[in-house]
Amino acid sequence: MKVLGTVSVAAMLMSTAAFADVTVGVSWSNFQEERWKTDEAAIVGALDAAGASYVSADAQSSSSKQLSDIESLIAQGVDALIILAQDAQAIGPAVQAAADEGIPVIAYDRLIEDSRAYYLTFDNVEVGRMQARAVFAAQPSGNYVMIKGSPTDPNADFLRGGQQEIIQAAIDSGAITIVGEAYTDGWLPANAQRNMEQILTANDNNVDAVVASNDGTAGGVVAALTAQGMEGIPVSGQDGDHAALNRVAKGTQTVSVWKDARDLGRAAGEIAVALAGGGMMKDVEGAQSWTSPSGTTMTATFLAPVPITADNLSLVVDAGWITQEALCQGVSGGPAPCN
Amino acid sequence: MATAKELRAQGATPLVEMKDISIAFGGIKAVDHVSVDLHPGEVVGLLGHNGAGKSTLIKVLSGAYQMDSGEIRINGDKVEITNPRDARDHNIETIYQTLALADNLDAASNLFLGRELVTPLGLVDDQAMEAECRKIMGRLNPNFQKFSDPVSALSGGQRQSVAIARAVYFNAKILIMDEPTAALGPHETQMVADLIKQLKAQGIGIFLIDHDVHAVMELCDRASVMKNGQLVGTVDVEDVTDDDLLGMIILGKQPGEK
Amino acid sequence: MTDTTSQPIPKKEAKGLFQQLELDARLLGMIGAFVILCIGFNIFTDGRFLTPRNIFNLSIQTVSVAIMASGMVFVIVNRHIDLSVGALLATCSAVMAMIQTEWLPGTLGFGLDHPMTWAITIVAGLAVGTLIGAFQGWMVGYLAIPAFIVTLGGFLVWRNVAWYLTSGQTKGPLDSTFLIFGGTNGTLGTTWSWIIGLIAAAAAVWTLWSSRRAKAAHGFGVKPVWAEATISGIITAAILGFVWILNSYNIPTRRLERMFEARGEVMPEGLTVGYGLPISVLILIAVAIVMTMVAKRTRLGRYIYATGGNPDAAELSGINTRFLTVKIFALMGFLCALSAVVASARLANHSNDIGTLDELRVIAAAVIGGTALAGGAGTIYGAILGALIMQALQSGMAMVGVDAPFQNIVVGTVLVLAVFIDIVYRKRVGAK
Repeated sequence: MKVLGTVSVAAMLMSTAAFADVTVGVSWSNFQEERWKTDEAAIVGALDAAGASYVSADAQSSSSKQLSDIESLIAQGVDALIILAQDAQAIGPAVQAAADEGIPVIAYDRLIEDSRAYYLTFDNVEVGRMQARAVFAAQPSGNYVMIKGSPTDPNADFLRGGQQEIIQAAIDSGAITIVGEAYTDGWLPANAQRNMEQILTANDNNVDAVVASNDGTAGGVVAALTAQGMEGIPVSGQDGDHAALNRVAKGTQTVSVWKDARDLGRAAGEIAVALAGGGMMKDVEGAQSWTSPSGTTMTATFLAPVPITADNLSLVVDAGWITQEALCQGVSGGPAPCN
Repeated sequence: MATAKELRAQGATPLVEMKDISIAFGGIKAVDHVSVDLHPGEVVGLLGHNGAGKSTLIKVLSGAYQMDSGEIRINGDKVEITNPRDARDHNIETIYQTLALADNLDAASNLFLGRELVTPLGLVDDQAMEAECRKIMGRLNPNFQKFSDPVSALSGGQRQSVAIARAVYFNAKILIMDEPTAALGPHETQMVADLIKQLKAQGIGIFLIDHDVHAVMELCDRASVMKNGQLVGTVDVEDVTDDDLLGMIILGKQPGEK
Repeated sequence: MTDTTSQPIPKKEAKGLFQQLELDARLLGMIGAFVILCIGFNIFTDGRFLTPRNIFNLSIQTVSVAIMASGMVFVIVNRHIDLSVGALLATCSAVMAMIQTEWLPGTLGFGLDHPMTWAITIVAGLAVGTLIGAFQGWMVGYLAIPAFIVTLGGFLVWRNVAWYLTSGQTKGPLDSTFLIFGGTNGTLGTTWSWIIGLIAAAAAVWTLWSSRRAKAAHGFGVKPVWAEATISGIITAAILGFVWILNSYNIPTRRLERMFEARGEVMPEGLTVGYGLPISVLILIAVAIVMTMVAKRTRLGRYIYATGGNPDAAELSGINTRFLTVKIFALMGFLCALSAVVASARLANHSNDIGTLDELRVIAAAVIGGTALAGGAGTIYGAILGALIMQALQSGMAMVGVDAPFQNIVVGTVLVLAVFIDIVYRKRVGAK
């Protein structure tokens, strides 16, 4: 990715001596989720390459613990903070504390409503578009269900917005009817499954396609569909979870939009080092000015995701993201590379 | 001052009258139309087996249970006793068989439980209560020393004296003692007997529940015997023998009945 | 009978140093454990744990749980439990956030930062918490539904009432006066902190000596003067030391610059200003003092402990134990609302997940602090120390870099171990 290349160069241009003592603190919102392990490895890799050291804390899904964690990281003398925010607004006092100390903050993957934070994420509106595009290609008409993300996560609405852009025309023409729409509290698969079950019951199973906002919720949706013998109708997702990719190979999920966490982690590590060394946010290569839905103007970098469908499954194996065995478990005669 | 017996003979209004009291628990009549009375300066023994209904009857008077029917008169006036506070307002004090002590509190706190002494600011005055507690314990049980320990750390006799002190301290006119000597050694039992005589001399009316016929014969003026929730009869202890009382308790027969 | 046949008061025998000081062994043990913990973390973090800044952070972070733990002591002492405190906090926080951001502007036209907004908000929030608590207490006391069930139901109900009220959204920003109760946003500054510290120290010493006078007036035994003086000295040093530490944490320069800018002034070169006592910590101290007074010096407190020790005895002593239950839960509800003020002001927002798992932290703090689940025993200072120990453990382990799963494993183990040590301690004291 060319954005990343230039960031690295920018980092190199700074005097390496200045980085000798750089410590970057990472505050995770919920490290329990498997995917962040990959991000962590990528961040650590980038920091090692720059000679910076890594400290972290896990807020265990609590906004108030995250605030305490960040206070503690600042007390440990970090030079830059990478924050995966549990709550876009409640993180405010933490950003304030960092700003008071002159510590740069990178809003990692999730938005922080504060112009002093550098927003680094995949293009979530584009993710939403990709999800809807893949489902729409497989099922251009009929009854649609929208399973959204957590109501406290701004990404949930970005995704939903992107999805709407793609199917709006079909809704207007009457080809598509949205028969059910639900937020998924805490992005929990169990909640998604429960919501999906209720929507199926309410509609006598007259559902033709489901636009789910991530792979976890897609898992809940597929479980609910399977219970009714309806597995196989188009279902979207994102994250490239191993289970989800396996579902794509099996044909029970249409698409998993893959945001390579290693790209995101590496970019975060490099930007953190650059900003810790005194770099300006606008000088980060690839930085663009972006206005959030609630009107905060921020400096941001958006990475482009990749939709993984039955047609390009080999990509994730080739990238080393998943082994062929894991991808093709229980699949015979499926799409490449599972044939 | 006239003795209780003389008062009775004169037909004076009793201190306490419990008339036609009934109480049932889930269809079982624990107390079945029982009437007893008590005069000032009199000790009335309540006798009977476990489950005869004597403790239940007395808990109606102390406010722990509510009767289903019947009436209670104190000095001739009909009264409503629906909870222990009502009983206390009528100067009825009770020493329960279980002692009813809060084990985690010290002697003074138990003595004044529900009636704490307070400072002008309304705060509990522990020092004043301990001082009062030391005074009364000095009279009742001069060996008592553990004023700052919780009562769980006390011996059976010491706990008993705390429970007795609580009943005596607040100028009771009517005292209910439910097996006050059950947990005591001979020496302490004698102390309780002396205390009963002393309180009687002060004109306090006492209901004494006891298993021990000899104790009743020694301490009581009259004895009311209960069996299966019903009153067998009330007798003047001077008129009966130990065996008469045992016959009433065990067989439910009147003295002299063959 | 002669008038004052008081018990002869035995002369105190020669005793060990600690016995003469008459210090509570349990309190000493907990303080000892806390000090060892702090020193240990300080060594492992190269001296970063015991910096003024981290002590400032720790004290702020403990407040919300500690306030609720003091109420939980009464609930547990009275042989009940409250599983709904975290959810109740969320509901109170949601109500207060809605009042500030939507209801007041929508009805009375009071915008954020209107001088009445914060006051109306807090009064209404405290009232809501107290009422909900009283309602739960009524169900426990008068309907005889076990507290475990009532508050388990409450745990689900109030968490989701909060969600419903705000539609799950984060509500903010909040009123700027309201934010003063949150910690960093509201501190007394050094001068006032010293004044409060001196007043507190004087009050503590006065309390000690007046209690000594009262004892002496009744002719009870008192500690030797040197022992009393030593304790007074320790307390004074502790209070003033704490103030000194908080005062030596300086407001970051940039923040200070902004504060001057806001007033249209220019910051003098090289100026440093200490934070001083946070208002939220002051609230906790006030709660601790009031709750301790309630426990030790009021009828309410006496009845709570008596009922916990022997509910039948309390009932037979004429205590209205049902209404007592209502009062205890109402007090718990009030304290949840107070915690909600502190917690939401600290986050400067109401977030949907506020107070999640707090019920477990609060119960753990009370239990680590020596509150017996069997009822009848527990102290306010113990619960607050318990909360402090838990927060120090969590924060210290995060600083040392212990993995998240191990942090929770350690906290869980400490909880069980603390209760075990307490049981052993009680047995040995009881057997003495």
